[in-house]
Amino acid sequence: MIRLVLALVFTACFTLATMLEPRFQALRPQSSGAGGVVGALMGETRELFATQSFIEADVYFHSGYYPTMFDKKETELDMNSQEADTNNVPLVNGRKHVDEEAGEGFLGPPRDWLERFGRHFIPTEHTHLASVKLREILPWLRMSADLDPHRVQTYVTASFWLRTAMNQPGEAKQFLREGLRANPDSFEILVELGYVFDQDEKNPRVARNLFDAALQKWNKQAAAGLESFPKDKAEIMAKAKIEILDGLVRTDEELNDLKQLLEDLEALKVVSPYPAGIEKTIQETRAKLGAPLSGRPD
Amino acid sequence: MNNVFALAGVVIKELYRRKDFYVLFVMTALLTLLLGAMRFFDNADIVRFLKEICLLLIWISTLVIAITTAARQIPAERESRTIFPLLAKPVSRWELIAGKFAGCWLACVIALVVFYFFFGVITATHEHAWPGVIFLQAFWMHAVFLAVVVALVLLGSVAFTAQSSNATISFIVVLGILFAGGHLDKTAAGLRGTNGDIVRALHFAIPHLELYDIRDFVVHDLAKIDWQYIGEATLYGALYTGLLLGLTWLVFRRKTLTL
Repeated sequence: MIRLVLALVFTACFTLATMLEPRFQALRPQSSGAGGVVGALMGETRELFATQSFIEADVYFHSGYYPTMFDKKETELDMNSQEADTNNVPLVNGRKHVDEEAGEGFLGPPRDWLERFGRHFIPTEHTHLASVKLREILPWLRMSADLDPHRVQTYVTASFWLRTAMNQPGEAKQFLREGLRANPDSFEILVELGYVFDQDEKNPRVARNLFDAALQKWNKQAAAGLESFPKDKAEIMAKAKIEILDGLVRTDEELNDLKQLLEDLEALKVVSPYPAGIEKTIQETRAKLGAPLSGRPD
Repeated sequence: MNNVFALAGVVIKELYRRKDFYVLFVMTALLTLLLGAMRFFDNADIVRFLKEICLLLIWISTLVIAITTAARQIPAERESRTIFPLLAKPVSRWELIAGKFAGCWLACVIALVVFYFFFGVITATHEHAWPGVIFLQAFWMHAVFLAVVVALVLLGSVAFTAQSSNATISFIVVLGILFAGGHLDKTAAGLRGTNGDIVRALHFAIPHLELYDIRDFVVHDLAKIDWQYIGEATLYGALYTGLLLGLTWLVFRRKTLTL
């Protein structure tokens, strides 16, 4: 008898669960982001871990020579450096890293004999990974992207190193496309994808289309309120516009599309910190346009 | 001295009779092999990530082994009342402390040998080269670290009544020192008055266990550390181990053994 009752209770529980589960599912807020099992298990903390993974990639890039949370407060320089890291400036493009830790570096002079002694057991030399050894930072970048697919800089950074240091433009392209699916409004990813097509695949036509698409996304974001952006974000946006226009100019030159080149140079002159040099190029292009155009593609 | 070795032998036998070590080793090995099978962006030669995770797991596993083994020694003898025939052998209380310490530390070193051998094999198969001198230095520094930890936990086992509270407090203290011990002087520099003095005094008083964590050198293939500094760190660790064992003996020699 007792067995029958237990079986009945179990059946009732199971039936109730099948009824209630979809209702509770509908009550839960629908997250637009990906994440799957990791997302469900970690919730919002995954963004925190994603940032930490990205920083860990930078730690590997410096072979362990990196300020801790205790070092950051030491000097403004280090604090800025850390700020830059979280905004991804040094590693982001890989080309903007400034060796700001010249001299004593973030460690500063040792305060006592114990600290002086302890320095023998921590990395104290500022070095950067080079060429194929840069592959060592990739697992952290992969992990960062898995944890937070909306972290645009992860895709851009990984792509830069994949195509420049590791000669893997195919992998870079695939990763950027993955990033674009998660961040369809990102002009940064489109710019980087443009570089892949322009510099690695030697396809300036597709590259130009990507830079053009990036400019449209940039304009859309700027229209949303460039003035209201914080100073550092506004600076990043301004640099991005120069980068996009620079990409457009380069692909115009490669395509020998002088009319378009002139238009893009004019736009670049307005935002570039070197307008004089661009003006010179504009004059040269105008002179070429005046001459008969022989090499113009279809 | 024979009594000390006899006691140490019993503790070592306990290590391979209990399941803790096997479980931790299998977990470490499984996780490492699983990570080793992963490929990132079609790169098969990525090794630092694997070394980092494997070493982290080894550190966690050996810390668990050291603390749990050392924490149960004296309370277990008291609970089972085997401490009375043991001390009536005659074994002095100092010999008991020394024997328990030697046993726990040697048991940890044996576990460490197995873990580092596994780590060496994993590294060698991925890097296609045997690990260098820094690997041996990391092993030795880890062993010295465990000696200080075992001595600290033995002191806790005579100071605290419950085994669980000793293990928990020991974990907190050791992890606290590993995480923040090297930065107390910086914290003290930012504090004024008595607070700053207290933190500065703490900075000089605690055993700086973080000195023995040279995983970065192994993970990032950095140059080996001068043996002179390894020797000095060993001496520093030995002094703290001696001090902690001395304190353990001071507390234990006057302690009533009845529950």
